[in-house]
Amino acid sequence: MIARVLNFFFVGLAALSCLALYRVSENTRVANMELASVNRQIAQEHSTMSVLQAEWQRVANPGRIQKLAQAYLGTNDTPVMELSSFEMLPRRGENPLDSNPVQNASMTAPVNGNANLHLVVANRN
Amino acid sequence: MAAKPPTTIQRRIVVAAGICVLAFTFVGIRLVDLAVLKSRRSSSIVADRSEAPVVRADILDRNGRLLARDLPVFDLYARPRDFWDKAEAAHGLAQVTGVSQTRLARAFAGKHNYVLVAKQITPVTREKVMHLGLPGLEFQASTKRFYPEGDARPVIGMTQAVSGGRGIAGIEKGLNAQLTAGKPARLSLDMRIQYTLLHSLDVTRAKYSAKAAGGIVLNVNTGEVLAMASLQDPKRAGYDPTRNIMAANDYELGSVFKIFAFALALEDHTITFDTTFPVGSGFKIGRFTIHDAEHMPAVMMAKDILAESSNAGTAQIALRSGPQRQRAWLQNLGLLQSVRTEIPERARPLYPSNWGQVETATIGFGHGISVTPLAFVTAAAEIVNGGRRIRPTFLKQAGDRRGEQILKPETSLRMRELLRYVVTNGTGRNADVPGYDVGGKTGSAEKNEGGRYIAHKLLTSFCAVFPIDNPRYLVFVMLDEPHGESAVMALAGHTAAPLAGDVIAHIAPMLEMPPSAVVPVPAKGNS
Repeated sequence: MIARVLNFFFVGLAALSCLALYRVSENTRVANMELASVNRQIAQEHSTMSVLQAEWQRVANPGRIQKLAQAYLGTNDTPVMELSSFEMLPRRGENPLDSNPVQNASMTAPVNGNANLHLVVANRN
Repeated sequence: MAAKPPTTIQRRIVVAAGICVLAFTFVGIRLVDLAVLKSRRSSSIVADRSEAPVVRADILDRNGRLLARDLPVFDLYARPRDFWDKAEAAHGLAQVTGVSQTRLARAFAGKHNYVLVAKQITPVTREKVMHLGLPGLEFQASTKRFYPEGDARPVIGMTQAVSGGRGIAGIEKGLNAQLTAGKPARLSLDMRIQYTLLHSLDVTRAKYSAKAAGGIVLNVNTGEVLAMASLQDPKRAGYDPTRNIMAANDYELGSVFKIFAFALALEDHTITFDTTFPVGSGFKIGRFTIHDAEHMPAVMMAKDILAESSNAGTAQIALRSGPQRQRAWLQNLGLLQSVRTEIPERARPLYPSNWGQVETATIGFGHGISVTPLAFVTAAAEIVNGGRRIRPTFLKQAGDRRGEQILKPETSLRMRELLRYVVTNGTGRNADVPGYDVGGKTGSAEKNEGGRYIAHKLLTSFCAVFPIDNPRYLVFVMLDEPHGESAVMALAGHTAAPLAGDVIAHIAPMLEMPPSAVVPVPAKGNS
């Protein structure tokens, strides 16, 4: 009697195992299909991003922006003269010259419209 | 009582049970394998498959700006027999793709079952074609090399005009193996500097109606080429916008070559800054007399000979070195062989096979020898960077790449003083930039045509180094046949020197180079 019960139990267990195996296999197949679809979408998006990056570089080309600035903003190429760097500016309350000696600059920078402004070099070492 | 032996039926039952146990054990193992082990392997396999197929790699500038990329395009094919109305199909496709409607109509009416409608259409055009709703269309995926910025075209080069084509010029050819393998190339070029140089050259070339213009910006400590531009007059015969004249063309550069004669003389202690030479009435050597284009004093010190660019004085200085020493010196600076870089464009220098006294004198002031501008800037950088060898490169580098010592550091220091003197007291005045101590040398070389030097056809150039006390960058600019208001106004001091100064003024802030510290002091009377 016990043997018969055990027999039916293990046969049932075997049948359930087969079903479980089939279910796992089928789920895996479906998941792979979905994954492949998502990967295709990702590849498509990468491709689109790649195209957009290239297009951005083209529209942000300095030559193109210069032409647009001249045409629509009326700006022109102006001479650049960097007089100092941000780090060289004195902080609030500081004595800008400290005790450093003042030296004349190697040349005077042209200052349009303000002929009274002179530039000197301060040695900050 | 002895146990009865098993009967046949019992043996069969045992065997059958054993087979069942084995079968279900196998099922159990397979279950574990599928549910646990294979799921891990599958995810890695799927991840590998998800990576895009290898296409030709990108080319980027040193800041990551895109210079070249393969973009997806499609070749459009059609099966005309699937069209309901071939004429309407031809009209719709012609409107969207831009191809000839007549050609399409003729092709659709013909006997071919498969017609190529358009090659390399963009994804946007593909969407428009699909919106036509025509049957019988097929898209074959392909790639096309796209160059968003044309400013560095002679350096970047190009590929064959087919999908997956190999490089045929410039970086595309020089780094073809790397790009084909899918490894991006990060160049030393800075497109901000490149554009600035190109724009300044373009404006100046147009201003002086020059036949061509070119420029190079080089890091003297790493050999990195930050910018290299070549421009030609589009109206001239033989116009080729893709030709890299700075790497592929030889030029007799003229007086900028005096840098090497003076460096050699200082290295060998054959002169000092104050050594005097008679130059006023020219210098006679053999049956030739070397004259200066401008009036010079009767006697000049060596430093003024360079500052005022006297050929007669320089010839005498070069002769103190002698032919053998001069030739060995130029060889050591790399000026007697072609420069090898990542780009295939290069040219062998031209110099006399018989190198005698006359040749030594003329080569001293830059005539009788032709080199590429790239070779010249490399040698000039070695003079000013402490006297150490560098190799020019178009790939981004890190750190100081100076090599062996090829001239004494003291010589390099003296040369820097001299070059600064040229700008403060000589022909290079127009190259100076407030806040950046620029040193340099002008060159106004008469061009050689048919064995004769033509007085009104000049190749003007300026070689600038900044900041002169601790050089980091060298800027070389060149104008081919500039036309000034007068002969004097066409010289380098009035054409190439201000061009170099303009370039330096614009690029120095981009290169994060602080100027000398300046403090504005209002004059008396201002509040």
